[in-house]
Amino acid sequence: MSGHGRYEPRGMLGKAVHELEETVIAVLLGLMTLLTFINVIMRYVFNSMVIWGLEVVLVLFAWLVLFGMTYAFKVTANLGVDALISIVSPRARYVMALMAATACLIYALLIAKGAWDYWAPFAGLQQTTGKWFPTGFDASTRDRAFFETDQIPMLEWLRWLEDAINDGERYSKMPRMIPYIILPITAALMLLRIIQATIRIAKGEQQSMIVSHEVEEALEEIAQNRKGQV
Amino acid sequence: MDVFILFTMVIGLMLIGVPIAVSLGLSSILFMLALSNTSLAAVAASLYNGMAGHYTLLAIPFFVLASSFMSTGGVARRIIRFSIALVGHLPGGLAIAGVFACMMFAALSGSSPATVVAIGTIVIAGMRQVGYTRDFAAGVIAVAGTLGILIPPSIVMVVYASATDVSVGRMFLAGVIPGLMAGFMLMLTIYVIARIKNLPKGDWLGWGEVWRSGRDAGFGLMLIVIILGGIYGGIFTPTEAAAVAAVYAFFIAFFVYRDMGPLARPEGERNLTLLDKPIALVTSFFHRDMRNTLFESGKLTVTLMFIIANALILKHVLTDEQIPQQIAGAMLAAGFGPIMFLVIVNVILLIGGQFMEPSGLIVIVAPLVFPIAMELGIDPIHLGIIMVVNMEIGMITPPVGLNLFVTSGVAGMPMMRVVRAALPFLAVLFVFLIMITYIPIISTWLPTMMMGPEILVR
Repeated sequence: MSGHGRYEPRGMLGKAVHELEETVIAVLLGLMTLLTFINVIMRYVFNSMVIWGLEVVLVLFAWLVLFGMTYAFKVTANLGVDALISIVSPRARYVMALMAATACLIYALLIAKGAWDYWAPFAGLQQTTGKWFPTGFDASTRDRAFFETDQIPMLEWLRWLEDAINDGERYSKMPRMIPYIILPITAALMLLRIIQATIRIAKGEQQSMIVSHEVEEALEEIAQNRKGQV
Repeated sequence: MDVFILFTMVIGLMLIGVPIAVSLGLSSILFMLALSNTSLAAVAASLYNGMAGHYTLLAIPFFVLASSFMSTGGVARRIIRFSIALVGHLPGGLAIAGVFACMMFAALSGSSPATVVAIGTIVIAGMRQVGYTRDFAAGVIAVAGTLGILIPPSIVMVVYASATDVSVGRMFLAGVIPGLMAGFMLMLTIYVIARIKNLPKGDWLGWGEVWRSGRDAGFGLMLIVIILGGIYGGIFTPTEAAAVAAVYAFFIAFFVYRDMGPLARPEGERNLTLLDKPIALVTSFFHRDMRNTLFESGKLTVTLMFIIANALILKHVLTDEQIPQQIAGAMLAAGFGPIMFLVIVNVILLIGGQFMEPSGLIVIVAPLVFPIAMELGIDPIHLGIIMVVNMEIGMITPPVGLNLFVTSGVAGMPMMRVVRAALPFLAVLFVFLIMITYIPIISTWLPTMMMGPEILVR
């Protein structure tokens, strides 16, 4: 419909990264399901529960979606409306796709500033100043590195964080900077993937930023099979 | 006026091909930064908390996963076999069985386009073989496929419930009677058409076949019993029910049906049993099929949740600016009552449902419409069902209904022919919509009876 094939990774590194991204998505979802299931079993069979279970599942959920959306930009899996772009001339479609890519870029830049500003205080770093654009670092940022999660236990191999950001004070629970770290990571990756997509669109290798619905791939497969039979 | 600019911007961005999620997010962020002193850090925080702060939405990835394990061709084939055994001998039997199969598969998969793909690929071909026209077959499946979002468990209902803080359990129950009713109305229509046109009927294969096929399909259908029984028996929360369902579905797919996983063998050969290869209990977790199913479900979850998380930012803007309350005030002042309001909601959703994926649409429209409905004294559960039925119809309304696209792909015929083919059944759904809209008790009776009258907290 929007006329682009499946994403094919290029080169050794490209393939490795692609495989890694897909596996991370699969593993995150698998862990979420397993943890939730185990907690139900624990409650009914052993009459107890993993108290940090729910909190960890919710963190993994946020990681899954935030990390996953950078992947979605890479393989053009984001849902969109193709009613208009599928009926205009190729020239107009090209211009519209570039405009759409620009809108995504603006979005990613705004989110990037927001992600840094939110995460930085939890990691003992400085926020940026300015409302729309970062205009410099704010030396008066209130340090929030002492904020801990509600239930998630501290991991031993992360103890070095105590000296690094918490003035040597002991963490009894996992500090919040760990779950929130996905925000700056997502922002950086999303920016990268959108820039790459914009270049592909400008070169004419890709036609739009969207697929029109979730089963588009399945339909393409059916169409392929039909061609094969004829 | 502000709200007009905001929504024009959202729609404008979507039309030039910006992903729905970005259209919603970008418009809301620009609006917030320009009008209030919210910081971008707060936006990032709400993007994160869209997932980490919404326990109800956590049900979505698990439902998606359960349905991925259950959406294989093997499960669809078993359900179809069972349907044919039950109703195949009636006039128009295969078509009625198609509707029946769609209803059952819909309950497993919770997604309309996915139902059309899974059931449609098999049933449309089967119907043509026994002498139905391709148009009739496509029309039936396109419309019956939409039942997917009405029959519980339904992802769209989870989204509605979390956008409006209504109980998921109640929404699921509320969908049961309307879902059965819509299915029954479609089957009756087919029966009447079959009588008039003298459509082919199959042979009665006997109770033995009903029992055998029912037992075979039953392992899959148990999933619904686990989910609904678990929720209403007070055993699980809906989120836990979804996770348990996902694990159950994995177990059935890998070890009982063995369509996938280490015990699966190529088409035609007998699948291995666990006794042939007990090591499968361990290797299953590392099997390629496991990783692929998890990944596909993860990807679908991501695309849905990315939209929902951004729509939640839009909801913030709407709530902060008191926009729904203003509209409700204006409507009441102009003398519009609940009926006029519901008509407007119908129209908005019918138009929107053509362009957009239903969960995305509901999460945009619900925060705007819900507070108004509360002011007008409309039952929140009833409103939810109305919205769901509206979107069903939006999916098969020309020119660009989602299910029409999918059916035209599956049946291999042009869109406009599918539109014409679906028309008689679309008319049935319209009558159904009018009934649902103006007879609230169809939706509210079962949840009220099972869970007591609801307490409205404003």
